[in-house]
Amino acid sequence: MTKDPQGLPGFDAALARGLTSRRMSRRDMIKLGGISVGTLSAATILAACSGDSGGTSGGTQPAGSVNFDPTTASDHVNFSNWPLYIDKAHGTYPSLEKFTNETSITVSYKDEINDNASFFGEILPQLRAGQDTGRDIIVITNGEYLAALIANGWATELDPAFRPNFDKNAASWAKSPFYDEGNRHTMAWQSGITGIGYNTELVVKPPTKLDDLMSTDFFPPSSVGVLKEDAPNLVMINLGIDPKSSQQPEWDQAADWLTKLRDSETFYNAYDQGYVDDLNAKNLSGTMAWSGDVLYYKIWGGKPYEFIKPADGGLLWIDNMLIPANSANPAGALQLMDFYYSPANAQMLTEYILYMSPVPAVQDLIAKHAAAETGEYAVQLKETAENPLLWPDQELLSQVSLGRNLTTDEESKAWHATFDPIWEQ
Amino acid sequence: MSTAVVEDVVTIPEAPIRTPRRRWTRFILPVFTIAMILYLAFPVLVMIVYSFNIIPNTGESERQTTEFHCCTIVHWQEIFKVPELNHALAISLTVAFPAALIATGLGTFVGLVLGRYRFRGRALTNFVIFLAIAVPEIVLGSSLLALFVQLGSTKPLGLYVPLGYWSILLSHIAFSIAFVAITVRARVQGLDQSMENAAQDLFANPRVAFFKVTLPIILPGIVAGFLLALVLSLDDFVITNFVKGSSSTFPTWVFGATRLGVPPQVNVWGTVLFLAGVFAAGLQILRARGADD
Amino acid sequence: MSQAPAEVEGHIPEGMELPPARQGERALARRRRTAAYIQLAPGGIYMILGFVLPLIIIVYTSLSTAGLFTTGGRSVFSWEWSNYTTALSSYGDIYLRSLLYAGIATAVCLGLAYPMAYWIAFYGGRWKSTLFMLILVPFFVSFVIRTVQWNFILGSNGLIFGPLKSLGLVPQDYTVLRTPVAVIAGITYNFMPFAALPLYVSLERIDRRLVEAAKDLYASKAIAFRKVVLPLSFPGIFAAIILVFVPATGDYVNSVVLGSPRTTMIGQVIQDFFLVRHEYPVAAALSVILMLGMLVIAVIYARVLGTEDSTLAAATA
Repeated sequence: MTKDPQGLPGFDAALARGLTSRRMSRRDMIKLGGISVGTLSAATILAACSGDSGGTSGGTQPAGSVNFDPTTASDHVNFSNWPLYIDKAHGTYPSLEKFTNETSITVSYKDEINDNASFFGEILPQLRAGQDTGRDIIVITNGEYLAALIANGWATELDPAFRPNFDKNAASWAKSPFYDEGNRHTMAWQSGITGIGYNTELVVKPPTKLDDLMSTDFFPPSSVGVLKEDAPNLVMINLGIDPKSSQQPEWDQAADWLTKLRDSETFYNAYDQGYVDDLNAKNLSGTMAWSGDVLYYKIWGGKPYEFIKPADGGLLWIDNMLIPANSANPAGALQLMDFYYSPANAQMLTEYILYMSPVPAVQDLIAKHAAAETGEYAVQLKETAENPLLWPDQELLSQVSLGRNLTTDEESKAWHATFDPIWEQ
Repeated sequence: MSTAVVEDVVTIPEAPIRTPRRRWTRFILPVFTIAMILYLAFPVLVMIVYSFNIIPNTGESERQTTEFHCCTIVHWQEIFKVPELNHALAISLTVAFPAALIATGLGTFVGLVLGRYRFRGRALTNFVIFLAIAVPEIVLGSSLLALFVQLGSTKPLGLYVPLGYWSILLSHIAFSIAFVAITVRARVQGLDQSMENAAQDLFANPRVAFFKVTLPIILPGIVAGFLLALVLSLDDFVITNFVKGSSSTFPTWVFGATRLGVPPQVNVWGTVLFLAGVFAAGLQILRARGADD
Repeated sequence: MSQAPAEVEGHIPEGMELPPARQGERALARRRRTAAYIQLAPGGIYMILGFVLPLIIIVYTSLSTAGLFTTGGRSVFSWEWSNYTTALSSYGDIYLRSLLYAGIATAVCLGLAYPMAYWIAFYGGRWKSTLFMLILVPFFVSFVIRTVQWNFILGSNGLIFGPLKSLGLVPQDYTVLRTPVAVIAGITYNFMPFAALPLYVSLERIDRRLVEAAKDLYASKAIAFRKVVLPLSFPGIFAAIILVFVPATGDYVNSVVLGSPRTTMIGQVIQDFFLVRHEYPVAAALSVILMLGMLVIAVIYARVLGTEDSTLAAATA
């Protein structure tokens, strides 16, 4: 018997020999040919078996079949959200604790959503199978995936009778957005702007326009980042195009601009979401970024960061709460959603996460809170109350725009075919 | 004597002289090897060292920084501080051990059969096993995802496998069986059948002959297969990434954590798993050394 | 030691009768065969359901159409060959790049691992297995962590380049990350044990006396190596090539963590199509093309090694 090399766990001579022993003769190859034919036949049989008709999947709940009466709510809600998107103190969530105290409904909070596309993919199999996704509230940005959820009947229709706070306190931009008439499926969580975030200590010169991202007069070589999902809309806005009504020719213009950026000296990498880490690690001097992220690290993290809306316009987006189909506790979920439209609760959020609140009354509350506090905390609160990015006036609102909504397969495929290959060179 | 005779004498080639130049070239290979070993170990050493890094607090979330400040054991003390990481580790471990056990159970017999018997479909089975190892992981992972999704939405069957622990476990077993099978098969192929025949000559029936003679001899192969399946499962990223749904295992969690920054507990747990592996390897060496004496 | 002797049952030509004694053996053989099938069944069925069936479904999906808004993402079979033409025309060059990166990484792996394995196998002496263990030990840490550590180490202002830049030894805007070099280096690093192991195993098995015999015949060290050691280590080299090249082609962790859009590999594209774009049909087509490509290479390798295997057997007898 051959001597195996000693003491190699798992890998040993037997394995190596097993890998190298002879396997197939010519006869076997011919047999295989037959099997391949059989495979394709099996595939066609599978096609016959699959049994679902085309069109939207099972699991659609007809409107009105879900009971939102709070008295019927069971005692637990699963809330899935993006990271850094809720108030946090010493490992607990003060606003959620307050909710539990008021309603006796416990909340499991998971910040598991890192980008719309991947998260959509994670819950897609359950939605298609008509199963409970295990989440009662999820937060999705306006755009293709939100549209797909609504179009396929996977977003539970909300009963307007049970959201008093929303009706009373919501900002005008949060009511009846163009992608969800009458808020039949969604209620805004927060809004924000995509612009340019940069490290004041690393840039050559502070940028003002989107084109500056390509220029070594402003940024050192290999230090600029791009947000893949937002970039097309942001670029179109800065080229003077209204993304909401854009078509293929405009998309091509934006694609050309992005290709130029990708090939320029300053370009470093394109991100789904993880630019923050590279920014903190000083691999990036500047990047397309979300306002709240940059402000969070600037105000609470003390980092030398700045966020600007590019001179020719910023991209406005709205993150929306919705209840996925077949949720176990839609009544409780709607209660929680409406809870955050009470100004006191919305204040708890905004004081921590620095995004645009859909409850305008919060601004005064924060200002009063700042006046009542002292020291550095007061300064930070005052900054929060006065930051124009959080409380957009008409002028700012006119300089930002929502992005393109993709609502058909042709549009979706054409969009992806135009923009995705830029980052897959 | 004439000079002609002297010239006829055959000259014996001189033995090569050991020149000093030869001496230092002897060190090239060893130095190279040591350097390579250090290079291979470098990221692991960095990981271990940085598990003792002092990190200035930036609010709630602690992320590893590039600047190193010596030294603190607080991350070791707070080893369970990140709940998502703990959960991911739990999933990794509770998938790896059962998957390895089941794959070993199933794969051992496959390997045995392939190594000992001739039967119709043997070459085909060999080929399928070979495929399972040769096919790129990304193809395996994506096809398993397609399987689970298709099963869930195929109405007559309605066989819904939740994407999470169960889909990960089933997938890990699927790709491990082939590795266990070839490990055992190779071991069996090198086995001298005469031992088992001798046992049968001594009136042992086939089952007894198997358990008392064959099994102990191939047991190292089975153990090797089990360990291999265990390591493959713990370390798997690509296939798990496709079928995990919203769960995480340790490798997929670490990968996702790079978006916002990796917490120092990752360094700590990486070191723990590393030391566990070193320990196991050390045991193997000692056991093999002992067997030789 | 020879390979396991063939099973008793042999191929009986048509029309021949077996003598009575052999008929008993034949019954035994049949029983053994049934036993074989029974033992094979559980693992075999699992492999069919967990490996073969998914592959069938992938082929099925690759010939389907699907759309988020029309079918809710469900794949509808329609002999849609256009998925393959889309895949090849849009991403043919990325396939080629993946093959190139994997090829370079394989060559570098071999070049670095061979001297290591050679030295340890031939000159390691008592410390052979310990030394080889030292090579494998870092790989007990998950490869995701190790790759992430390289990202950490090689950052623009990180562990290596931070000090180098502040000392002025390296230009301020020098980056290694996000270049093809970083990706190939990452792949090489991660697959080193897959090269080192088979090389070491086959080198270690070589009978030293053969080398001594060559030296007795006045061969220099270099010639002894070239004509004796190297050919005998071919099985190990082949195994190393296949174990590195095939998985490396489909790798995407290295290109995501260490690379940039300009270094995209086919694994990333497949992952993107499945998990981000949810365009399963084209994604499946990309997958099938990759699998067929790797299969062709692997099958060629298995056929070639058919002849090499006898050399290995002879060497180990």
